[in-house]
Order: sequence, then C-alpha cells, then structure tokens
Amino acid sequence: MHVLAIVIVLALASVGCGRQAVRASEKQFLADQVMTFDDDPHDTAATDHVRSNREGAAGGRGAGGGGCGCN
Amino acid sequence: MRLQLTPLVLAALVAGAAADDRAEVSTTVFAEKRDGGKGGLVVIHPQALLGVDLGRFVSLDVAYAADAVSGATQAIFQADAISMATTFDDVRQQGTVGLGFRGKRSRVTFSGTFGFERDYLARSVGGDAAIDLPGRNTTVALAYQHGFDQVCDKDNGMLSPLEAKALVGDDDCDHGKIFYGTNTPGTTVWRDLSIDTAQATLTQNLSPTMNMQIALYGQVLEGFQSNPYRRVRIGTNAPQEHIPDTRARWSVSAHLKRFLPPLKAAAHIEARFYDDTWGVLGGNVELGWAQYFGKNLLVRFYGRIYQQQEATFFKDAFFYETESTAGEYFTGDRELSPVRDITLGAKLTIITVGEDRPVWGLFDKLQLNLRGDLMFLDVLPASGAADNPVGVEKQFIYGNSLIDSVGLTLGLLGNY
Repeated sequence: MHVLAIVIVLALASVGCGRQAVRASEKQFLADQVMTFDDDPHDTAATDHVRSNREGAAGGRGAGGGGCGCN
Repeated sequence: MRLQLTPLVLAALVAGAAADDRAEVSTTVFAEKRDGGKGGLVVIHPQALLGVDLGRFVSLDVAYAADAVSGATQAIFQADAISMATTFDDVRQQGTVGLGFRGKRSRVTFSGTFGFERDYLARSVGGDAAIDLPGRNTTVALAYQHGFDQVCDKDNGMLSPLEAKALVGDDDCDHGKIFYGTNTPGTTVWRDLSIDTAQATLTQNLSPTMNMQIALYGQVLEGFQSNPYRRVRIGTNAPQEHIPDTRARWSVSAHLKRFLPPLKAAAHIEARFYDDTWGVLGGNVELGWAQYFGKNLLVRFYGRIYQQQEATFFKDAFFYETESTAGEYFTGDRELSPVRDITLGAKLTIITVGEDRPVWGLFDKLQLNLRGDLMFLDVLPASGAADNPVGVEKQFIYGNSLIDSVGLTLGLLGNY
C-alpha cells in the first residue's frame, strides 16, 4: 500500500515535470482565485478544525506556497 | 483538551498570508446531533486575522481564534453510551504572530502560537519557506513546526492504568503562570506533549488552464495523548483511557485543478492517503466545481468521502466490557475507531472590487463568504457481529440519523 502511494505520487510529479513551460502571458486563468491552492486559509483552518475532531487522519493540506508564479 | 485547536492550522493561516495588506474575520458554527434526548453539541469558532506590509519585503500577521463549546459529551465509553452522557461548556483561545520576508521568487515566514484553555496549554514555533523555480511554473515549499504542549491530568500517583481515575471538571488545573501549568499535588499534574511536524509541497503549472499540487506531511507526537476526562468501561470498572505515548504519522496528497474558460468554471479533484504507527490507515477523495456567475458571484460545490480503519488497540465498547483490554491499551476515542464519513457542501462568495474608489472607503477588494456543509457519519464495527452482539450503534452518543452534523461559516475578507 505504501509503495503504491509513492508510485502514484512520483508518477503525477513526473507528468508535471515533463510539460512544456507555461509562459507568463498565458497565466491569466492560473492566477484566478479558484485555481489557487488554499485560496482561503481561514476557511481551510475552520474545516480542518472540525475534521480533526472526527477523523484520525491529519495533514496533507500542504505547506502553502501554492502560487502560480504570476507576479 | 476537548477542543484542541491545532496550532499548525493557525500557523499555516499566518504562513499563507498574501502580500497585500488584508483583514479577515469569520465565524463557524458547527452543530452535531446527539441521540437519546441529549440535545446536541454546538461549537462556535470565531477567527480574525490582520496582515500588514512593513515595507516592500516584510509583512506582519496577527491571528486570533477561539472555540466556545457547549452540549452533551460522553462520560464513559460503553455499549450503552447514551445513559452516560453529561453536559459541559468550555472556551479555548489561541493567538499567532507571524513575520514574513519575501523576495521576487521566494518567501520565508516565522511564526509563534500560544493557546490556552482550562486544561490545555499549546505553545509552538515554526517556519516555512517557498520558492518559485526558474520558469516560475514550479513552486517548492517546506515547513516545520515544533509544539511543546501541556495537558492537565488527574494526579493518579502510582496507580496502574486500570486503576487510574479520570480528570473531572471540578479538578483544579493551575496555569496561573500563563505559559506554564503548575501541579496541584494529590489533585492534578501537567503532562508534556511534544509535536514535531514537517511538510513539503510541490505545486506545478501543467498548462495555461491546469495545475497540480503534491503534499507530503509527517508528524511525531511524544507524550500524553489521552483525553484525561474519558473513561472506558472494562468489566465493572471505568478507568481513564490509556493510549501509547508515541505516535508517528504521515500522509501524502495530490490535488489537480482545471479551469474551463468557456464555462467560466473550474473543476478540482483531490486524493489523500494517511498512515500512522497506531494502525490508523485512512484516505479521502474530494471532487469540486467552482462556477462564476458574472464578475461578482462565485459558487463552489464539493463532495468528499473519507474512510479509516481503527487503531490496533481500538475495540468496540462491548469487547472492553466483556473481554478486558486490547493488550496494554484501551480507548473510547472515536477518532481511532473505524469510520466513514461523507461531506456535501457549497460556498457562496460575493466579490466586490473597488474600481474608482475603495469599497467601504478602505478596501481594494472585499469578499463575503457563506459556506454550508452537511456531514453524514457511518460508524463501522471494529470486530465482527458475532463478537459484538450489542452492535456499535449505542457506543457513541452522536446520532444515527441521516444527517449527523451541520456546519455554517460566514466570513468577510478585505484586501486594502
């Protein structure tokens, strides 16, 4: 199970690395707030707070830094 | 202890602060149904954050969150839990300060958190860093946090776990020194809990309309992790629950988003796998859709399913009552039970952009958020029906109705 999870992650990561670069002029949609990972940390914090009292699993939200390089 | 606002959540909130000056307030109301005429459990969770830029490269964020909880909770983990429910009220408060430094392609944030309630002190420090790799289509972020918490517990002296008494609401938990708890010999002792958390995140633009994120998470907890109030019926006795002092956990998640320009909408899918040294193995999948209606209205819909298997030492209440403990340990923590839950929700965002003049005379952009969640919980048996003739329906006091809980959040976010 652990090996399978790692294989899936590496496969997804390799898909990303193999893509042609997105130019700055093409980032209009990537800059939209719905394409930002964790665009509302307040909301995420409240949701995680509720779930942490119902579920034994934790983490996996990411460490932030999910920008699109649009600046 | 019943509440345990996660310091990491607040720290992440601060670390994720945008470059703009911003102010945000929100309140979440969460209500969970209780069976047997015990009413419900209601949690009111207000949050506030203020972020300001100190020049071009430095930012300061201050966040506050609280929990006000009231309702019925379970006094003893047993086959018929409803008869043993009790009511309580509690308040927890927590504050975080973060100092951020950013360059053209990178940022570093340091944060500190302090939270307190009657029976729990949370203290943590941490930092995170993120950098856009050349091409600015790949972002790598790392974060680490160390928490050194204290939990108030009953002073059980040299009693064995099967003889240990649970903490009760009248016991004095002295934290008169604010940052450190002080033991009250013969009544209460403060026990340490250290929490080390590390995260790594890779975000990748895949095309002009698609991006993805992979996140790795690891955490080691060392110290007192039981709920000091919770008792477990073992035979004719009901000692305080007893669980291991060490827990190591990790998870990995993958998140994919796709923007659909003709529809002015975006779709996302997220999957997560979780594992820990207590034997809890879990995972969830979430699907979502975000739809713009004009420039000012954004509606998001999402559905999520989660399932986990129980910790190796978790047994149904009937087992503990009739067969004794599962080795050294025994617990009535529902977070360690086998469970499946489904969440269906929607979030409505009204966006107002100040074009000619600031919104309300202050904000460049103002967003009003309203979110509602319905949660469906399905408790699963930890052992076969042959070993548990009473069933698991009564061992926790929350409902057997279709909808187990409801969450509502109202928030206001302003960038200025």
